[in-house]
Amino acid sequence: MAVFEGATLAEARAIVARYPAGRERSSVMPLLYLGQSIEGRVTREALREVAELLGLTTAEIESVASFYTMIRLRPTGTHVVTVCTNLACALRGAKDVYEAAHRASDIPHGAELSEDGVISLHEEECMGACERAPVVAIDFAYHDEISPARVTELIQALRRGEVPAPSRGTAPRDFRHASRVLAGLEGDPA
Amino acid sequence: MSEDLVTLTIDGKEVTVPAGTLIIRAAEQLGIEIPRFCDHPMLDPVGACRQCYVQIEGQPKLFTSCTTTVAPAMVVRTQNTSDEAHTAQVANLEFLLLNHPLDCPICDRGGECPLQDQALAFGPGESRYREAKRVYEKPLHLSALVNLDRERCVLCARCTRFCDQISGDRFIELYARGASQQVAIAPGEDFRSPFSGNTVQICPVGALTATPYRFVARPFDLSTADSVCPHCSAGCNLKIDMRRGEVVRQLARDNLEVNDGWACDKGRFAFGFPDSPDRITTPLVRDHGLEPASFGEVFGRIAEWTEGKRVAFLSGGRLTDEESYALSKLARTVFATNDLDHRRHLEGGELELLWAAGLTGVTYERVERAKAIVLVGLDAEQEVPILHLRIRKAARRGAKVFVIHHRRTRLHDVATHILCRPDEVAGLLAELAAGTSAAPAGLAGAALREAGNDGVMLIGAGALDRPGAADASLAAASATGARITMVSRRANDHGALRAGVHPGLLPGGRPIAVPEDRAEVELVWGQIPNYRPGRNARQILEACARREIDVLFLVGVDPLRDFPDAALALRALRNVPRKVVQSLELGSLEPYADAFLPAAAFVEKDGHFTTWEGRSQRLKPLRPAPGIALPEWEIFASLALACGSDLGFETLEELQEELGGLVAARESVPDWPPSPAPPPMAQGLELFTYPLLVDEGRLSEGAARLKAALQEEAFVEVHPQDAAATGLAAGGRAILRTEAGQAELPVRVTEHIARGTVFVPFNQPGLAANTLLSGTFATAVTLEPAHAAAGPSGGPADAQPEEVPA
Ligand code: SF4
Ligand code: SF4
Ligand code: FES
Ligand code: FES
Repeated sequence: MAVFEGATLAEARAIVARYPAGRERSSVMPLLYLGQSIEGRVTREALREVAELLGLTTAEIESVASFYTMIRLRPTGTHVVTVCTNLACALRGAKDVYEAAHRASDIPHGAELSEDGVISLHEEECMGACERAPVVAIDFAYHDEISPARVTELIQALRRGEVPAPSRGTAPRDFRHASRVLAGLEGDPA
Repeated sequence: MSEDLVTLTIDGKEVTVPAGTLIIRAAEQLGIEIPRFCDHPMLDPVGACRQCYVQIEGQPKLFTSCTTTVAPAMVVRTQNTSDEAHTAQVANLEFLLLNHPLDCPICDRGGECPLQDQALAFGPGESRYREAKRVYEKPLHLSALVNLDRERCVLCARCTRFCDQISGDRFIELYARGASQQVAIAPGEDFRSPFSGNTVQICPVGALTATPYRFVARPFDLSTADSVCPHCSAGCNLKIDMRRGEVVRQLARDNLEVNDGWACDKGRFAFGFPDSPDRITTPLVRDHGLEPASFGEVFGRIAEWTEGKRVAFLSGGRLTDEESYALSKLARTVFATNDLDHRRHLEGGELELLWAAGLTGVTYERVERAKAIVLVGLDAEQEVPILHLRIRKAARRGAKVFVIHHRRTRLHDVATHILCRPDEVAGLLAELAAGTSAAPAGLAGAALREAGNDGVMLIGAGALDRPGAADASLAAASATGARITMVSRRANDHGALRAGVHPGLLPGGRPIAVPEDRAEVELVWGQIPNYRPGRNARQILEACARREIDVLFLVGVDPLRDFPDAALALRALRNVPRKVVQSLELGSLEPYADAFLPAAAFVEKDGHFTTWEGRSQRLKPLRPAPGIALPEWEIFASLALACGSDLGFETLEELQEELGGLVAARESVPDWPPSPAPPPMAQGLELFTYPLLVDEGRLSEGAARLKAALQEEAFVEVHPQDAAATGLAAGGRAILRTEAGQAELPVRVTEHIARGTVFVPFNQPGLAANTLLSGTFATAVTLEPAHAAAGPSGGPADAQPEEVPA
């Protein structure tokens, strides 16, 4: 295995062992997050290896991976910025927020990854925080009631290497770190 | 069991159905058709397409009738009586067609497409959508057999649910979501499932198409008829489509008692053999070379050759019940010989006798309802694929499944495998019978005991070659109270046995040596001149090799390829003075045949095939036999006349009347002595083999796409410890040596084979494994790594001399 090897393989096995025998497939999501925390996205290699670890077909894994936007199958920046553009947020100006974010990130037209590789930006469906619309998430941490000016500041901070504090909780260091947290793993990789 | 019944009203009509019935099924009972795409009676409801909306009185919203179960006094209105339901269905069809390319004129489904039909019957006729449609690269080749045109797909998830719930071969899945949702396969993975063709058949649109039929015909070009698959003893009911007399497609036909609605890919796609260019359709007789002759001339010659001579018959497993019966009667009453056999395995003892007498009483339904199932020496997926699906269905319903075999089978996700060496089978069965140990065999025994009458043991013909296994399985069945049956692979092995193509058994499993049983047959046949049990297949070949037989009939069988001792088969053919071949073609028997009798293929025959269960199913002649080929019972009857005798029937009906009386299931069978144990296995590595589903067998000839999709090159499979001990590495090559021969093969190393055993497939490209065998399907073997680039490899060519023997 190329992605899950050494200490990572041990962590993967420990994830599988969290679930009762016969229900190993429940570990698909955390394993995908673990892979994503290593490579910054889920590569084809990682999909195959998760399938192998669980005795499933790659199609079964990719079906799950391609369903969830939190799992990134394409090349991805250090940080992932998502702008909710669903109804509540749209009504409160999310379109402008998205466009400001796009400009601030220096992303070529039609693309979603910034030239410097720092930011991946995409629109998202309802993130479940409509009462704080419009909402932006940076590496899954929420920033409430964001204006075009504020999103520009956030992105400039990211591009300077800072990690802006979210509206609640603590911010993950970057997208890989966020993925590791979502895999249910404490601390940094061994 | 008293079922709870529920009465409800649909479109003003009352209907009473069992509780838990879906509304869409209840409506069907009233003859009310609700349009649907994702609903399929064999698959779990999913509610993916939203086409089947109905209104339920008192409910604010519409319901999908394929996911909603009935309730007492429910009042349902379908599109027939509810404007709301009708409007929703029309809107949904417009929605489903938004991105649909409407390319019916170039779509294989055109003319028999549920989307076309339902759009016409229930759809709007117009679309308000003016924007660009979604386009995809077309088609995606999911395998050499199955193509996917994604833009036609309505995302009903029938195909993916089939793979998930029925076959378990989850190679295709729904990817992504929203407007990008699509059926997909992982790059680098192949839709390598022997059941892949079923997804094409149940796709309600033209999104999945089968390569062999792509752009071949239109429904109105086809004449369609019902038949039964000739490829294995599952007995799948098929619909056969012919275009100008040529078979162009086979589809599964629904029969809940047999194949549900499924067929395997071999049954579906290996349909070319009756139209093979090698087919011979006139009789031949050898003077200087093999030359065409009339049936009369050939019969005359055979009559001369056989007069007062020692005659023997070998047949395959593909004669109809009627033909097998005629053969049994011909051999015994005209040629006074009991040297006839259709089998390739060792004697099956009392188990085989019960099977021959129709007393086993295991059916698909029994398997489906079983609470515990034990398979012994049977790789159901490869040997009897539709039985495999039934076992999976039983497992889904909670049956405990155990497989006693030497390598893991495709039931591995639903069954406990007990891997053992060939010589350990009988011991494990004894442990199972005791049912006390905590080891898997003991647990299997306990599960059978707990299941009682709902326990089933399925004994593969392969298990008969294992010392003592047949008797031990019968003992295990009686100890646990399980039902037991043999399962033999070829389409009509069971019919041949029931009809008495066997050296010791007359029709109906009557031992010829038992006077009372013989007398029952003699009432119909007249006196049987010779009632000493005859030679079995192996003994016949040995006698031929020793020149103790003068004329050998090979009826739909090629011992050079089929018999598990190629060298013996070759000696037999060289040494027996006269060989009469009766088949569709000569194949590798060409150099040996002295006469050839052209037989009708299954699409040209009237008669029956008997499933592994014992169910006799009708084959109808769908087209005339080409040339002057004849149904084989007619050949036997005419040959009898030419030999100055008479089989006593002139029509098939007369034959069937005789046969029916003799093979009716009997009350009991006479006592049978325990089978002599085959010689114990030697120490060291033991090779075993059985045929895989898609192999080099004659009935798969010409099925190029099927082979491209599913056939594997020959390989040798070994356990990691044995590989280490013999210095083999995965991906390397090994030289195998047995008493009979040697071969060089690529090595697969797997933990899923019993230690000490070595598997090679029986007949894959690169190895005819019978060149390694000495009469049974297992033999001692030694392994060593092959160092030279390309070493000698066993194959049919090694077994066949160039010269034509005199
Ligand atoms: S390919 Fe056919 S069966 Fe599969 S989801 Fe699409 S329409 Fe349904
Ligand atoms: S399972 Fe057997 S009978 Fe059924 S289609 Fe396949 S080969 Fe034919
Ligand atoms: S619409 Fe943006 S969070 Fe709900
Ligand atoms: S048939 Fe009911 S939702 Fe598809």
